[in-house]
Amino acid sequence: MSDSAARSNADEVWDDLLDQLATQPKAQPRPFFYTRVQARLAAEASAAPRPKPLGWLWRPAYAVLLGVLVLMLSGDGAALRPAAGAAPYNASPR
Amino acid sequence: MTCSIPLLWVDDPPATACPARPSEAADAALVAQLQQGSEAAFRTLVARYQDRIYQTAFSLLRSAEEAEDVAQEVFVEVYQTIGRFRGEAALSTWLYRLATSRALKNRRRTRAKKRFAFFTSLLGLDNETLYEPPDHAHPQALLEGRQQLQLLLAHIARLPDQQQVAFTLRHEQELSYEEIAAVLETTVSAVESLLFRARQTLRKHVNPLLRNV
Repeated sequence: MSDSAARSNADEVWDDLLDQLATQPKAQPRPFFYTRVQARLAAEASAAPRPKPLGWLWRPAYAVLLGVLVLMLSGDGAALRPAAGAAPYNASPR
Repeated sequence: MTCSIPLLWVDDPPATACPARPSEAADAALVAQLQQGSEAAFRTLVARYQDRIYQTAFSLLRSAEEAEDVAQEVFVEVYQTIGRFRGEAALSTWLYRLATSRALKNRRRTRAKKRFAFFTSLLGLDNETLYEPPDHAHPQALLEGRQQLQLLLAHIARLPDQQQVAFTLRHEQELSYEEIAAVLETTVSAVESLLFRARQTLRKHVNPLLRNV
């Protein structure tokens, strides 16, 4: 068989295969598809999370920030500062 | 031949010789009704597109359960976000885009789960038997023993995502190059290139007779 004949034969086989693909029986959803979509919509609507009061407090970053703010405002940070009347540190031993 | 498509219908559309594809004008009217919250419009949308969306998902996933899941997700998303649809793309384009992207995401998730299950079974972390999802070979391929078609479907599933979507939309959904480009948000020449590479790969694998062409 010549090269061109083989080529055209291969083209025919390929085209036939693509025809089979295009004309194959199409898959279809089961009956009452719309009812199932409706049920899913209803389920999603009822499962939608409602915003909790002070819901932001549950986020770790906000909780940490709140903790730091409370510490700062409570005056506990004063212990870390030198007392106003304390003598300055003398580096020289004499 | 003129073909009128009713804007709304409650039951399944009657089988006619008219093409199933509604005009863009009919879709635009449908979108307007959906945005006003019409329940009947949503029912019409589902009736009009459920087969195509399901078939697209099925072509990419080859699983009836997963295709059903994806198709449902698509319509739920449409219902929830139709208010934000501005009509930059055709309604059908938007639906195909949602269906293909969700199907691919679903497939990636399934593959990742399978890989994880495989590794944990290797490490002996669980004693469960690996669940192999049923391989839904195409009914016609099974029925008529068309091994080549089965082989083709198997190799389509192995194509890279974009090539697979382009090939499926072209050869199973029979979309034009322009429509595929809109779905993939790319150019027509990029679609041509994707299809060329997909066909080349498939021809190489499907039939030894096609290998040298």
